[in-house]
Amino acid sequence: MTSGKISKDQIQKIVLSGIGFIALVYVYFTFFLGPLNKGRATAETAIADLQTKLASSKTDMEKSRNLADRAAAATNRFAALKAMSPEGAPIAWFPPRIKILFANQKIDKASIRLESSEPFTASEMAEWSAYNWIIDLPQTDFATLGQAIAELENAEPLLAVNKINIKAVGDDPQFQQVTLTATSTLRK
Amino acid sequence: MALHLNLLHEEITELRQRQRDPLKIGTKVLGGLGALMLLFYAFKAYQTLQIKSRLSSVEREWAKVEPAVTAAQKRTAELNAIIGTTRVLDATVDDRFLWAPLLQRVSRCVAPNAQLTSIAGTSTENGKAIDLVVEGIAAGREPRAAAEELRQLLSEQLGEKYGRVKVEFKMLEDLDTLVNVAGANMAMSRYIISASLTPEHTEGAKPTVPRAPKP
Repeated sequence: MTSGKISKDQIQKIVLSGIGFIALVYVYFTFFLGPLNKGRATAETAIADLQTKLASSKTDMEKSRNLADRAAAATNRFAALKAMSPEGAPIAWFPPRIKILFANQKIDKASIRLESSEPFTASEMAEWSAYNWIIDLPQTDFATLGQAIAELENAEPLLAVNKINIKAVGDDPQFQQVTLTATSTLRK
Repeated sequence: MALHLNLLHEEITELRQRQRDPLKIGTKVLGGLGALMLLFYAFKAYQTLQIKSRLSSVEREWAKVEPAVTAAQKRTAELNAIIGTTRVLDATVDDRFLWAPLLQRVSRCVAPNAQLTSIAGTSTENGKAIDLVVEGIAAGREPRAAAEELRQLLSEQLGEKYGRVKVEFKMLEDLDTLVNVAGANMAMSRYIISASLTPEHTEGAKPTVPRAPKP
């Protein structure tokens, strides 16, 4: 063997070393450095996220406190309006309540029936529905009726009278027959 | 010059060949590279461990704060929902039309010689417009004048409180029958008065008073 030339055996060994080098680099980057870098990047992202959350959490809590202070009136008002809709189906408790109201105004023969009901489409009113009622008062006089309607409108702020029909009773024009069509906003 | 005999020529050649063995050199280079890579890996791993330790401390901090933040966010959402609902409900309460004051004003307009037989009221456009139809009988020497007086009174009374008040006769006709009022026979007229108005009173807006239809 001469000293200047590379033998076939040596070439094979060089190729083998090259393959070994490539394999080493591949294994190093794929199974060692890659996952390590990935893990580090994930941790850095998580830290950034958490720090953002921590920074915004103080603002959120401050906002919540301020909102609670500002919303005190709205909360009380909401509680009062909510309390006007007892538990249970409105058909069960609304007509008796209105009957009592008219009875207290000296109108005894009141008949209240549900015509229809429909839910509100607005998202903030998801728990509320509009109920349409027909209130028949077969015999009353005008002054008493006026007072009773005033009382109804004051006592039931979520009730709006849409139609009112007052007709004199044939035999006794002192008395009137009244039909009210009203919509009340009640909790489902 | 002394003669130098190399008796170990073959052994030296073999030694040199062994030293120049590419596989051996390659193994050494690979080993060196591997060591460098390992060092670099160790450095990176140390950095990663530091970052993970920082992450753990931030996570602990967040775990302490999170329940309070979640509760605050939930409360904020609840309050916003309550405020939104209350706003809509308040609008419902404020926008409805109140009939009792209207009936009170109608009652003020009815003179003893005018009788109402029917009142029909309708609130349209969510209480933004009101239509009223009043039907009745007027008696007197001039029953039509009595009916006109009622119409004018209605227009005045409603115009004081409501906006865009328009009161007009839909029908006014004489009846053949006479009625006894305070011992005197009086002629009668039947009328239908229609009124339209809006709940808001507009300053300076005067009620429209159309003329009564001719007999």
